[in-house]
Amino acid sequence: MMGISNIVSTIERKYIYKLLKKGKRIDGRELFDIREISIKTNIIPKAEGSADIELGKTRVICGIKYDIGSPFSDSPDEGVATCMAEFVPFASPMFEGGPPTIDSIELARIIDRGIRHGNCIDYKKLCIKKEKYCYILFIDIYIMNYYGNLIDASGVAAIAALISAVIPSAKLTLDETNIEWDGKFMPIPINELPIQITFGKIDDIVFIDPSLPEELIQDGRISFAITESNKISSIQKSGPALWEQDEIIKLSRIAIQKANDLRKKLNLRQYIPKL
Amino acid sequence: MPILLPEKKHEKLILENGKRLDGRDLDEIRPFKCEIGVLSNTDGSAYVEHGGNKIFAGVYGPREVHPKHLGLPDRGVLKVYYRMATFSVHERASPAPNRRALEISKIIEDAITPTLFLELYPDSAIEVYVMVIAASGGTRCASTTAVSLALADAGIPMKTLVAGLAAGKANGKIILDCSDEEDKAGEADIPCVIQMKDEKICLLQFDGDMTPEELDTAISLVKKGAKQIFQKMTEAIHQKFENIQKETELEIEKMIQQQDIDSINNIESTIENETEMKNEYDNIDINKKDFDFNNIDNKKNKLEEFDEEEEDFEQ
Amino acid sequence: MVESNGAQTREIVYPGQVISTDPEKIPGRGTIKENGKILSIFIGIKEEYGKYLNVVPLRGQIYTATVGDKIIGKIIERTPVKWILDINSNVEAILKPSDVMEKEKIETKSKRLSKREEETEIMKLFNVGDVLIVKVISGDRLSTPLLTTIGEGLGKLNDGIVLQIEVPKIPRIIGKQGSMINILKKYTNCKIFVAKNGRIWVRGKTFEYEQLLIEAIYKIEKESHTFKLTDRIEYYLKEEKKKRGLK
Repeated sequence: MMGISNIVSTIERKYIYKLLKKGKRIDGRELFDIREISIKTNIIPKAEGSADIELGKTRVICGIKYDIGSPFSDSPDEGVATCMAEFVPFASPMFEGGPPTIDSIELARIIDRGIRHGNCIDYKKLCIKKEKYCYILFIDIYIMNYYGNLIDASGVAAIAALISAVIPSAKLTLDETNIEWDGKFMPIPINELPIQITFGKIDDIVFIDPSLPEELIQDGRISFAITESNKISSIQKSGPALWEQDEIIKLSRIAIQKANDLRKKLNLRQYIPKL
Repeated sequence: MPILLPEKKHEKLILENGKRLDGRDLDEIRPFKCEIGVLSNTDGSAYVEHGGNKIFAGVYGPREVHPKHLGLPDRGVLKVYYRMATFSVHERASPAPNRRALEISKIIEDAITPTLFLELYPDSAIEVYVMVIAASGGTRCASTTAVSLALADAGIPMKTLVAGLAAGKANGKIILDCSDEEDKAGEADIPCVIQMKDEKICLLQFDGDMTPEELDTAISLVKKGAKQIFQKMTEAIHQKFENIQKETELEIEKMIQQQDIDSINNIESTIENETEMKNEYDNIDINKKDFDFNNIDNKKNKLEEFDEEEEDFEQ
Repeated sequence: MVESNGAQTREIVYPGQVISTDPEKIPGRGTIKENGKILSIFIGIKEEYGKYLNVVPLRGQIYTATVGDKIIGKIIERTPVKWILDINSNVEAILKPSDVMEKEKIETKSKRLSKREEETEIMKLFNVGDVLIVKVISGDRLSTPLLTTIGEGLGKLNDGIVLQIEVPKIPRIIGKQGSMINILKKYTNCKIFVAKNGRIWVRGKTFEYEQLLIEAIYKIEKESHTFKLTDRIEYYLKEEKKKRGLK
């Protein structure tokens, strides 16, 4: 509340903690309330897909681009999708410009895993010719304003951009030596939409969707990616906090419930392109 | 491998009816809109949409330079970092800045520096980050415009705002505000940014094939276009504060309706009485008067009770 | 000024805008004179006071250290012999151990410690992250401000919360002869300290009252250029208290 920096004042730390002990958050939320989310898709004309997400004051823009390449040798009949995250310096005075920091790399990999193991993209349908040609999707996440919980915001941005994307469909040329456009467009083949749910922890108090002041003083966090079929598709424990086994299981159940509520509320399938 | 749909190449940029590919006249500018104060963690920010360009600019500063030796002892340093998002262009760009981005950063710095009073901030830096999320011809000019707005939004004193656009030449004719296609396929590209207060040129580049007379025409066209952009910029600034004012007028009406009239009658509200904003800005190089025009009664302000420094803060 | 529906609108100006060509007018704060014209250097509100023309900035500025100001600083660094504080300015400020406590207090506490031992003892009092109410004893825009906690009403804050608003809006929080701050205190029953560097310390009986006060402060910041603000804030506080069930 008093400027943003790595050094949180002692009184703010005390204030947030005192509130948490009473089950309240500094912005008035309950321990397990998620902030308001707003979604805008198709905002970047030259991107195949795009989404502009606001989770409270955290703002993330995700763009989808594609390229044609060859499948990896260990998955010869599958296309490829890769995530990148850029912490734009104007998103926070704590972000310095320059090459990707470890935090931006961790974020990209978390979102990547949530998508990869969440039965999200149908990689087989992204393969054009086995062992030779496939789509490579680039899921590029740009953090525009940082006010806590980049993971959940980026997760929504990525799936909103993916589900609303339109890519040109490809076919082999007659002599089968190359790929060309077959004149049509298609959506990205998506099965399920994974949702990320992150919890922060200070001492032994756990809360959902940390906002910036909480994130700056928390001891650690844990994020769950939840599939539409109510399964956990990935987990990331970050920060030096320690967790009990039953704590984690309990939180995973809360995450599933919250992910379902969020999914219903956001109704992401409304963004599927009508072709 | 090149992607499936290459960017369209156009031979004819000016159609039979004298209009351009997007229907514009030769001297017509693309739609422009802007907003200030869009990034809450910055000291100042702006968002600009110009044609297909979508650009954010965020400012930090003036603030201490770290490491100290990068600062200057007699004036502040302005640093601009211009970057483009990977998805802002047709073929995915690399996220790392390329030489073009670094060059553009420098020419924006050179364009904006004359509009600032950098001598006010020795050993300090003003840092501006520009992110182009969608690009479509004339990005460096629209970016400079955004930087200018963001600095004004940060409350940094400025001599003037600036606005710019690119002129060009298509099928032999001088055109104003090049679109993407015109930028790429035209016979000249002239990004140019001017100062609002005196029309002096603060950014100028040229690539192409023109006589001095054609260049003269092109720059005059740019000035014409820039004036239209300035108009939009000032409207946006007014609107931001007038919207707040309108909302408060509604509130006042509600208040009157709810019969809370006694408090309204008791407190005087002429314009002079309401404006008590003391300007902390102070500089010997600029005309200033020590005008103490308010009576902030600081005694009312005293902290009643708090802990002395000797005490521990353990509970 | 334009009048509409009886309400007046203030003229909002931008950097480089000519606000007067009248040779009689004198350029005040927020303006410069060039070629016989007076220009604004901020996005702000034009004000006339007799012959003086000022522009009051509407957008946030950083604080410029002024001797005598009481401000709120946060310790961001320490060396063995001093603390460095963030005071919401373009430069960081310094607090030395010799400016922490009055000489008499030190003498009674210490039992013939050497100057250096004294210093070391005092350096134990504050740490990185501590928030202090300090006074500026020297410094300005060009040199590092020096601070002190010697004096009435100065020292370390142990409780409550500090917000930060745009520096030019601070006088609005106080109001003419304290009218605004008195309304804030009256309706929210909170302790408030408004510092010149844009920071406001708040402590209330309950979180709900503090929340209401914090929201009112941000509302004042946002609407600082509008009319009848004091009345509207009073109205707002009354209504919100009813809505939120606060007494």
